[in-house]
Parts: sequence; C-alpha cells; structure tokens
Amino acid sequence: MADADEDVINTSSAGAAQMDTDLSDETQDFRLLSHLNFLNDSTSSSLPKRGEKDFEPNPTEFQADVLSASRQAMHNALAHPRIHNPKTWVIGFYAPDGPMPPPDHVDTAKTAGKGMGVSQDSCVYIPNAKGSTFQSIGQADRWNRLWLLPEEAIYMLERGNLDIRWPSASTAPAEDEEDDISIPMSLQAAYSCFMGHAGLTLERYSVYAALRRLGYTVLRAPAWDDSAKPYNTKTEMDIDAYTQPTHRGPGLGGILACISNWMSDPFSTASPAAGPLVGCGIHRSHNDVYRKMALIPWYDPALAPQKDPLDTTAPFRVVLHVYKPGTVIKKSAIPPPDFRIAVLSTREQTTIPTLPELSALLQSTPLDPPRGEKMERMMYMRVRHGYRNVVLAVVDQGVTSFLRVGDAAFGKEKLFAAKYAPRGTKKSGYSKPKR
Amino acid sequence: MPSTQTAAPSTEPSALTKLIETVSASGNPVEATTIQILHNLQQQHLWTNMQLHHISAPETSPETPAVPVLISGVPPHRVYTHPDEQLYMLEKGIREDDLRPERLFVIPTAQNQSWSLRRMASAFDAMSGIEFVEDKESLPEVDVEMTKKLDQYYEKREEAIATKEWGSTRMLLAMVDKNMGGDGTVVYYVVQEGEVKPRQN
Amino acid sequence: MDFQPTLPIPISFISGRYLLFSIDAVTYLRREHNTCGVLIGTLPQIPQQNVFLGLPLELMPEEARLLVDKGVACIVDEAKAQKDGMQSLLEEDRRQYLRELESQGLQAARIVAGRKEQQKEDYFKKSLEKKGKKKPNVQSKETSNGDPTASPTGPSTANDEPASLGDFFAGDSSSSRGTSNSTPNPQHTYGVTPTTSYPPLPHPSASSDAILSRPDVPLSYPLFAHMHTRGYFLSPGLRFGCQYVAYPGDPLRFHSHFLVVSAEWDQDINLMDIIIGGRLGTGVKKGFLLGGPQKEKPEDGSEIERTESVRTFSIEWAGM
Repeated sequence: MADADEDVINTSSAGAAQMDTDLSDETQDFRLLSHLNFLNDSTSSSLPKRGEKDFEPNPTEFQADVLSASRQAMHNALAHPRIHNPKTWVIGFYAPDGPMPPPDHVDTAKTAGKGMGVSQDSCVYIPNAKGSTFQSIGQADRWNRLWLLPEEAIYMLERGNLDIRWPSASTAPAEDEEDDISIPMSLQAAYSCFMGHAGLTLERYSVYAALRRLGYTVLRAPAWDDSAKPYNTKTEMDIDAYTQPTHRGPGLGGILACISNWMSDPFSTASPAAGPLVGCGIHRSHNDVYRKMALIPWYDPALAPQKDPLDTTAPFRVVLHVYKPGTVIKKSAIPPPDFRIAVLSTREQTTIPTLPELSALLQSTPLDPPRGEKMERMMYMRVRHGYRNVVLAVVDQGVTSFLRVGDAAFGKEKLFAAKYAPRGTKKSGYSKPKR
Repeated sequence: MPSTQTAAPSTEPSALTKLIETVSASGNPVEATTIQILHNLQQQHLWTNMQLHHISAPETSPETPAVPVLISGVPPHRVYTHPDEQLYMLEKGIREDDLRPERLFVIPTAQNQSWSLRRMASAFDAMSGIEFVEDKESLPEVDVEMTKKLDQYYEKREEAIATKEWGSTRMLLAMVDKNMGGDGTVVYYVVQEGEVKPRQN
Repeated sequence: MDFQPTLPIPISFISGRYLLFSIDAVTYLRREHNTCGVLIGTLPQIPQQNVFLGLPLELMPEEARLLVDKGVACIVDEAKAQKDGMQSLLEEDRRQYLRELESQGLQAARIVAGRKEQQKEDYFKKSLEKKGKKKPNVQSKETSNGDPTASPTGPSTANDEPASLGDFFAGDSSSSRGTSNSTPNPQHTYGVTPTTSYPPLPHPSASSDAILSRPDVPLSYPLFAHMHTRGYFLSPGLRFGCQYVAYPGDPLRFHSHFLVVSAEWDQDINLMDIIIGGRLGTGVKKGFLLGGPQKEKPEDGSEIERTESVRTFSIEWAGM
C-alpha cells in the first residue's frame, strides 16, 4: 500500500514460516525421535521433519494428550543411558593435578608435566585407547597413555564412548590395592570437574561439541588462553590500509609521492584544492574520467597490518581452529585450519562488536584473498568472501549462532573497468541471503 | 501529486502547498511533526474527521508532557482486528466493511526523537482521559438480518472491551523520517497495552 | 511420568552457569513450573547431529532465580559438592554403589541381547513371509535374501528345505530368547556411565556449605518474571534478536507469540528499535513486546515490587 516493499513483507509472511528450515532453530518434538531406530544405528539415518505445532493452547483433551505424548517422548529420549559394550569399553582416569607419569615411574616425577610432551591442560588419561573415535583427539605420552583435554573428555563421556574414573586419591583410601573400587564419574561429575578447567567455558564447550557432533575436527587455537601475550612484542610498522585509488607505496612517504605525482601530472587540468574534479583537458576514455573522480579513500584489507593472534583482547580472539570433516590431521604437522572461531557469550558481551574490535580480530587472521576461477568471474562472491575472515560463535544461554565476518574490499572492485560488469540480475547478487 | 496545470487563478492552493506553508510557519518541531503526520493520514491514507487532542501536563509535574498532542481520525478501512474478533466475525458472517468506522488514536513521533517506556505509557494514560463522541452518521445500509447480527456483535464487543479478550487499549505509533535527507516517509505500528497475541495473517 | 522430586531441586552452578542433570527434575520443572531451559548435551543414542540434544539442561539465571525465589530449587556449588562428597564417601557406600552399577550393567546387557534377538526374529519372520510368497522360486531368490542377514545362528542350511522353515525358526528364536533371559553371562556385563552423582552422593541438604545464594539477574528480570507469572514459557532470544522468546504454552507444542525486549522506565529507547522489532516480529507472525518495571531498581533491590510494577506493550506493523 504505502510502498511496494512493505507489501512484499506482508505477503511473504506466509513463506516466512518455511524460511528458517534449520531444524535446530526450534524446540523439537521428541515424539519424532522415537520413530528413529537407534539400534539399527545407520548413523546417516535421515532426521525427522519438524513437528506440527499449534498457535495457542486450547482446552481440548486432544491437545493435552499430544503434549503429554511429546513430553513422554522427550523424557524417554533424555533418559537413555550411557552403556559400554565390553568389546568397545574404554576406561580413562581423571588426573586432577594434570599430566603425571605413572605411579611406578615416580622417580622421573621431577620432570613431570612439561617433559611428557602433553598439554598441561590435560586432565584425563586413557591407558589403553582403542577404536577410531580416539584417533583425532588427545596426545600420547611416552608410556603410551592418551591424555585428553577437558573438552575432549566431557565430549567423549557425553557421547557414551568413554568411562572416566575418579582417582583413588579423591575417594577415601582403599584398604586393598588389588581391589578396584574406582567409581565411574557421572556426566554431572565430569561437567563439574572439567568445566572451568584451563580456560574451558560452557560457551566454548558448546561450540566445540556442536561442531564435533557434525563431524568437524576442532582444535584449540594459540589464543585459547585469554592471558597469553605474543612472545616478541615487536610493533609492526602500522601501515595505513586506507588507500587512495592510485598506486602508492606504504606509509606517509607514499602519500607524499602520491600527491606530488598528482601535482605534476602533465595531463591533469584539475586542481586538487579547488576547481573541477575532472577539468577540461582531453579525455580519451571514460575510465580516465572515473579515475579522476575517485576521491574518497577506501580501505584495502590486503594492506592491513598482520597481527599476532595473541595480540588481541578476549573475547575477540580466535580460540578454536576448525577443520572440515574428512581432513587428515597429523598431530606432528597440523595444517592451517579451514575456519577460525571466536566465541562470544551474550551475557558477557551484550553489545554488537565495535569496528576496532572486529578489525583487530580480523587482522589477527591470515590473509585469505578470494581465489579460483569462480571468484575471478563473480564479483559478488569476491566481495562476500573478503580478504580475511573469521567466524563468530555467539552463545546465548545454550543457543548458538555462527556468523562469518569477512573483510570485504569494495574499493578493489573497479566497476568502470570490469570486463563483465555486474548487471542488474539479482541472481548472482547479494540481495537475498538463502538459507 | 495534485496537478496545478489546469488551475484557475482562483483555485485553492494544493494540500501539499498548504502543508509546506503551515509546517514552515510553525517554529515548533513537535507541531511540525504532528502536522506532517496529520497530513499523511488525510491525504495518503484518506482518514476523515481528524482531530487534534492537546494534552495538558499533570499539575504535579512542572515538566512538559511527554506527548503534548495526540491525533485521532476515522480510517476508511479497519486497521486492526484482533484474531479472536476475526474468528467471531467469520463465524457470524460479518465482514469488516459491514462495521461502523471507528475512531483511532495516533501518537505522532519523529525519528531520533527521544522516547521511553514512560512516554509510551503516558500517551496511553492520556488517551484514556480523552472523551469523544462516536459519529454514527456514515453507517452503510443493511438488511434486517445483518442489523441483528451487528447488534449482537456490538454487544459482544462491549463485553470484549471490558474483559480485554479482543485486545486492549490500542493506538497507532506513527514515526516520520525527518532526518537530514529524510524523505518524509511515515510508518505506522499498532501498539496495544499488555500482552496481546499476534495476528496470524 | 508424574514424578515428584524432592524439593528444593538442586541446580548445579558450574563455571558460572546453571545446569540440571536429573531427567526427573527437568520433566518436573517443565510440567509444573513452565521452565524449559535449553538442552546443550549430546544424546548418546544419536550423537552425530544438533537437532535433538540431551542433558544437561542450561537454565538462564532468570529461570534459576525464579525457582529459588519460589522455594522450588536451590543453587549448589557443584564442583565443591562433588569433591567434598567423593572424599567423604565411605568405602561401604562405594562398594554398595558399584554393586548397583554392576547390576544395572547386567540388566542393560540383557536388554540389548534381548533386543538383538527380537530384531533377528523379526527379520527372519519377514524374510520367511517373502519366501513363502515366492515358494516356487526359492532357489533363485535365495542369495539375494539370505545375504544381508549375516546371521551367526546358521539358518542358511534351512533354506534348502522351505517346508520346515517355520518350525525351525519358531524353535530357534524361542530357545535363544530363553537363554538370554535366564542365563546371563557375567562376562558380558556392560559398563554404565551414570548421568548424575546422586547417588552415590547424598542429596545436598539446605545446610550444606555448597549451597550458594540466589542468582544475580539482569535488569530485565522483572519483565521475565511478569511474563512467567502470566503463564508464558520463556526462551533465550538470540535467534530472533531479542531478549526472550515467549511461548503461550510448552514450546514442544506451540509457536511463540512474542519477541520480548525489556527496558527501564526512563531508559532512552531509539524509536527505530521499536520499528525494527515490530517489523521483524510481524515478518515471522509474532508480536514485538516491549516492557519494563515502572519502579527503578532501588538500592535494596526488591525485585518483587519491580515485577509488580511492570507494564508491557505489544507492537505489530499496522500494514499501512
């Protein structure tokens, strides 16, 4: 009525229901879960469809019955026990004091910890790790015990792949050494003891587990420790990334050279201080004219200074490195990650990040310019990809959203010089983010 | 746009011309906002029987009232129907156009104007104090059966107003884009006091 | 289902967050106190997805506070409770507990074995039916049908004599079911990872020094409590860019009605935020609900008075 856009919003509201087809967005009807056959366990079993919901409660018995059935199904699903088949039963031990040599090697205890080649943040060891589940996690010490970080330990226990025991020191001293009366840690005990240990927050764990469940490999990034500072604090020359469209060298010298070039440009009839931008000289192509008109400085992310990932302030630092499913990761030569993730909690970070915060975070990631034939052809893909990127995982009381932030370089896209100028087709454009 | 091409020398100035003259004559920004929105309601949305309601500040407070003036008028079509009311009408076979046009109140605001819950609440409190008589002249002609249905409807509505089951006190919040370079667009939002379930269409 | 847990329900305070591990507590709070929380854990039965999640359940501080104020729950410093509890656990209790776990493991082993038998039986019944229909062609179909069974019970020989199949399987399945029920092999006892630590630890008493004071809540708490009192179920609002999402009933069954944002009475509100909220809400068929307490936060902090003074406004796009 008032304008076309408003009508669009109104009429498309019917479609809005289907707009967010991300199932994890809504509370799920657990009745659907009971249709899945767990025991067949063909892990790729297709997920159930979203349950039908009502607009509001009504006093019908039918509705009450359906709700009661949903709740019962939820109860049953959540009550499912974690049991270990003797064939695949893996037992680990909680080490509250961090990595230690085995008791019968106590003489080497002086070198304990650091000499073991195991992260000091580890808190659970598995004397006899078996099965493919433990291939991509943990670090082995020289007694062939696998040491797990707290998030790895909770995740493995939560999945039902690991039985962790309380150390005997935490329980009352046993009379008989031979008699194994080590008590299994409950899920609750694991959360209580491992959460908060060595920088592990519930938010970081939620993000870790969510990605692991989807098959990604997730490793701690160097900036995991909030207080870690760069070793050599050499301050890099702060290169100004705000660039004039003409070529110039870095720094103040570049700007001066640029200005002197401009002044001495024999073909230029324009005065930079006053007068017409383009002037009344002879212009042989439109591109010359456009170039003269390009006055506004623009930001070139490729020229932005590279910062040490540790030279950042929490929570705006990369704490997790993520690899796509199927990436082969040798523990000796860890490849660069596919995604870098900073984790934010909405209760601690209540405002939208400022530009300086985001810039500092982006500058701590390596340059990742758009590459490939497709990127060269499609301008909007290039702009969207950006030159540096980072993923923000925003956690609101257990609900996580992932946002990719890219450092776009609009100034690098010379529309007037483009061979394939982007036309009005919105198909390739950025007009409608598809979900 | 009102056309001036065929205008005879004696013709009245256009609505827009009048608006511009009034707004620029008024030195008071609040008044200018009010006039602009009033004009938008009249000319773009074809509201009639427009009224301005000046609100006096409570004597206890030396401050000026948060909302010094409210606009009211009669829209050509219903702006809001509560979902339960809609259901009732559907069951009885009553269309919105069968109903008596209703006076609706509007809070005039401009973008970047300072706003708060207190201001919103004071507008609602002020409205409940305004007395007005509903004009019943423009009733459409209907047959006997419909008259009966409508009588039932109006009776039901009296009840619903008391129990708030068809929503509560409601107003339109109008905001005009008056920024630098603002194009004078006015947007309208239905605001109701309390928790009123959303419409589903 | 209608289990009544011992009150107050202990809420585990872990690393600054409020968590529940007991399924009975979760079900009870949902049913009786309109408190849903957010499930954040992995379901062991289907661990490779994020659509259905399991225990623990994370509560907002607002939810935890409300339950504590109602006397329904208390806050436990769980790390301390676990550590102290394990240290003071008597050896006798430990042995008793381990025996209990073992019998649970045995039971689990039996159930799993029983289910496997059942499945096998179902499978054979089905393939029998198939074969029954295609009697003349048994020989040719044999390979395609028999292959995927990969059964250790050796029914492959039976395929040669279709007439006696029924008897053979009837006898076979009933006898194997019998063995799994009557003579459980102790070697096959399953390990069990319990969900909570209570037992073996005793239910924390109100006098325990692991009990913490009421949770601190944000300024939006009075609006939260106001909505909760009116029967709404509230969830974190990140997905819709608001503070809370309000549901008219259990989110398992109902769509949400409101995107809720709280403000203090004299807090400056950008009108544009009201427009944005109203527009966003209308786009997803929800109302934008703006509200807050008329009483500013006093120094002594009476949240009850603040909650009682809450006024709210529902906002939708007018469509004009």
